[in-house]
Amino acid sequence: MKASRKWIFQRFSALIAAPIIIWFLISLISLSTGDYNAVVNFFSKPLFSFLTIILLITGFFHAKIGLGEIFEDYIQDEKIKNFSNLLTLLLSIIIPSITIILLLYKF
Amino acid sequence: MNDSKNPLSPHLQIYRWQVSSLVSITHRITGILNLLGLIFICIWISSAGISQNLFEFYSIFLKSFVGKFILIGFTWSMSYHLLSGVRHFFWDLGYGYEIKTANLSGIIVILGSFVLTIIFWMIGRGLI
Repeated sequence: MKASRKWIFQRFSALIAAPIIIWFLISLISLSTGDYNAVVNFFSKPLFSFLTIILLITGFFHAKIGLGEIFEDYIQDEKIKNFSNLLTLLLSIIIPSITIILLLYKF
Repeated sequence: MNDSKNPLSPHLQIYRWQVSSLVSITHRITGILNLLGLIFICIWISSAGISQNLFEFYSIFLKSFVGKFILIGFTWSMSYHLLSGVRHFFWDLGYGYEIKTANLSGIIVILGSFVLTIIFWMIGRGLI
């Protein structure tokens, strides 16, 4: 990806994720004292489920670009850098995908 | 731009610590912590989606001392990254480059992250 495009995507994903993470953090703190039913009820609401999915997509995307920037600064070896980037890419797709599928079909 | 010919950034050990460098490196560290937090959230949601037993097992951990410490730490890390991110947006818009302003905004980010953490917890626990 071109550096200028990364720059724009990084800010764009931040603008979307920031308001959602504020809502999510407060909900998480509130739910952390609750039981299983409270959590299931929470994610059964279509709006809450939708917001969580958007948060996971933009959040992991933002993390992928951000980690890439850190690798660029601190990893000298091209092979290790490429491998780190590939591993980050795979994990930032697989982990949220599993969660999103469960959110869509299990709640 | 050919990334492979870029020079590496100077490594951290040779920096004299200042507000600007402290805020900058903490932005990166909290970014990594936030990613770990997102993974924790994914495991939490997934466990509830898979089975109640798995969720209860994970819940016991979350309600323990270590679990609470992680949740508070994650809230702080997110608060910090959010505020530091706002500071970056001001720079992107062309404001706050003077050394005095940058140092002041850096201090606001550090102190504000703790205030924001407390506010999130008070709202989350229904105290506000």
